[in-house]
Amino acid sequence: MSFGFQLVHARPGRASTLLLSWLLFALGVGLYFYASQRRHQENSEDRVMPTVSQMFHGMSDASVKPAEDDDAVLPDNASLRQKFFASMLWKDTLASSRRFILSVLLLIPAVLLGLHMGLFPYVGVVFLRFVLFFDKIVALSLLPILFIAFGIDELSKIMLIVVGVTPTIILDTFNLTKGVPDEQVVKAFTLGADDFDVAYRVVMRQIAPRVLNSIRLNLKAVMLFLFAGEMIASTDGLAYRIALLRRHMGMDVIIPYVLWVALLLFLVDLAMRLVNRKLHPWFQEA
Amino acid sequence: MALIETKNLSVDYGTPARPVLTTINLSIEEGEFVCLLGQTGCGKSTLLKLILGAERPTGGRILIDGVEHMQPDRTRGYVPQEYSLFPDKTVLDNITFGPEVSEFNIFTRLTPRYLRRRRRFRDEAFGYIRRIGLHERDARKYPHQLSGGMQQRVAIAQALATNPRILLMDEAFSALDPGTRKDMQRLIRQLWRDTGITVLFVTHNTQEALCLGSRVIVLAKETPDSGAHIAMDLSVPEPCHEHQIPTLVHHLEHASGSAREPEEAVLATA
Repeated sequence: MSFGFQLVHARPGRASTLLLSWLLFALGVGLYFYASQRRHQENSEDRVMPTVSQMFHGMSDASVKPAEDDDAVLPDNASLRQKFFASMLWKDTLASSRRFILSVLLLIPAVLLGLHMGLFPYVGVVFLRFVLFFDKIVALSLLPILFIAFGIDELSKIMLIVVGVTPTIILDTFNLTKGVPDEQVVKAFTLGADDFDVAYRVVMRQIAPRVLNSIRLNLKAVMLFLFAGEMIASTDGLAYRIALLRRHMGMDVIIPYVLWVALLLFLVDLAMRLVNRKLHPWFQEA
Repeated sequence: MALIETKNLSVDYGTPARPVLTTINLSIEEGEFVCLLGQTGCGKSTLLKLILGAERPTGGRILIDGVEHMQPDRTRGYVPQEYSLFPDKTVLDNITFGPEVSEFNIFTRLTPRYLRRRRRFRDEAFGYIRRIGLHERDARKYPHQLSGGMQQRVAIAQALATNPRILLMDEAFSALDPGTRKDMQRLIRQLWRDTGITVLFVTHNTQEALCLGSRVIVLAKETPDSGAHIAMDLSVPEPCHEHQIPTLVHHLEHASGSAREPEEAVLATA
């Protein structure tokens, strides 16, 4: 049956692609403002759906006023840049980024373990079953144990992320290593390579772009565990602020914060994709 | 002493054990061009992988120059049908990979001597690139930017760069179109003559086996459940005349189709 227009074979033009792809954004923003305006007409004290100007005020307070719990006093004539670096937003972003970067760096040993498990049968035999078991543990259920064992400071938050994401990365790298054709390994040996040449110069380099992709896709999980940790036990960080402002119904700051986090994550993702393409020009996205 | 010798070689796969190869006794002299011929699934690739050291036999021994090798190494170069090049390395780096890893390990690669040697490796690689009929501007390309034929040319150069005594080729030209295939056959014959290397070439194409090899070995199974054995061992006269090929093809295909006792055949040159 024909509908009079093509579905599978449809070819949206440039203009309609642009228009249609932004349609839902426009609709969402429009609906929000409509609803917000209606609520403010009924009750000018409404805190659930702040107006643009309210969010702008909340956000400019957060990004140029010194953090409230900060002792440092800025001179009156401080530049905008100085003000920004002393602000609540900057402090929170910095605290969260530190934890985020540390956790991602701790994924490097996971990649190396996965590689060796996939390539050296004895390492695989020792670790595979254990990692498979570990992978099934719900990381958040370990949170109380982590708090008891490591205290409620940085270490337990980092450990939560490591426990949550590491098994996935190990198993992913393991599978990618297994996916490298046998011919490649055999060929390398016939050319005089030793076991470590094969591991680091042949297999590792081949799976590197896919491993980076896998880490990129798991950034979401890293953020999830990071936010869980920050919301429950922290004195700074983006998620701490969001959780704190919830108590005051501070939607004028919460909404911009959520968008800010999304923007940051998008930028990290984009940067990793660009770096991946730059580092591995030979890589053919399958 | 023969360069490659197999003694009562047999291989079973799976449980319950299903024989793939039974009592293969083979002796290959230095400088021979041996084509291993047989139907799909008769175990000719398995035999090649055993000699390569990538698989272990269930019974029997393989001696390379009198020594048993437990894993693939520099004595035997390898050109498979697919995945023969490292996709993350340029043509040049693919060819220099062998000489580099043969001489330097992860730590000695940090020394200045490595940088000096590297220049030499590159010069030699360019020599190979010219010899296999590629342009120097192809040196910076990645394998996926080359055609299938070009990739196999580079793979051969890569294998030869470490000067192995034996070259093992597994259906190396089977994925190529007929024209390219003809060129590649000419190239490998030329390289074989020039270097005096011993070649073991696995193929299912009788014509190819005959126009390449100085010796053709046919593997065949008695019954579908039994393991393959050497059904025929044929010395091909040099040069093999074009008009002889049809009769030889018929002869060989008969042998690989219905197996019989190993027969030694030497064809007189017309």
